[in-house]
Amino acid sequence: MSYFRVTLMRSAIGLPRRSTDVLKALGLKKRMATVFHPVSSSVAGQIMRVKELVQVEECEKRLTKQEVHLERKPDPGYYVEKTVARQQKESPVHKTFGTLRDPMPGDGIRHGQDLSGD
Amino acid sequence: MFKSTQALFGGLLWKTPWRLSSPQKARQRKRLRSVDRVVDTVSAALSRNGQSSKAVERWYAEMPREEEMLPKDKYTLFDKKEKSYRKSIHKLPKWTRVSQRVNPPGF
Repeated sequence: MSYFRVTLMRSAIGLPRRSTDVLKALGLKKRMATVFHPVSSSVAGQIMRVKELVQVEECEKRLTKQEVHLERKPDPGYYVEKTVARQQKESPVHKTFGTLRDPMPGDGIRHGQDLSGD
Repeated sequence: MFKSTQALFGGLLWKTPWRLSSPQKARQRKRLRSVDRVVDTVSAALSRNGQSSKAVERWYAEMPREEEMLPKDKYTLFDKKEKSYRKSIHKLPKWTRVSQRVNPPGF
């Protein structure tokens, strides 16, 4: 089972009513919106109706909106090697960091900075 | 400062250039190719799933691809009111979002 991955590249403003309605039927509400539809002749006919406005790919899996968003998200430039469980709120704060664990080579960016500050 | 130009003096003066610039032509070719790509993708996906669509078949039967088209058909279209029976394609309303590839034979 494969899917059409349809992305709206150009808006249908000022085009005939039918084009707008086809986009609505496909579920494309604004530019750069992406929808997935199973490959079938009826969906193909709908795509042909708005072929000047969309970009189409064939893919095996239907992605969620979140996954499509993550594809577009730029690389943050760092990664956290290990997440440390949050400590219960104690006072003073800097002692909590001190007793957490000793600094070791190969520490993540965030931990390294916190420990060197103490 | 007022400068008397034909546009400011009113009257009917079309400021749309009569021909396309070369970047406009390049973008037109790019759009033609992107439509070809969409149709190819849809057709390949359908044939892989053993289906067919009348709209896709009709497109292949009637429409030339970008590389098969003559420059004349890419950038101009038939107009009976013009002396040469051709006008530039940017005179066509919404010309960047409609497919206009074939013209009457002989013109």
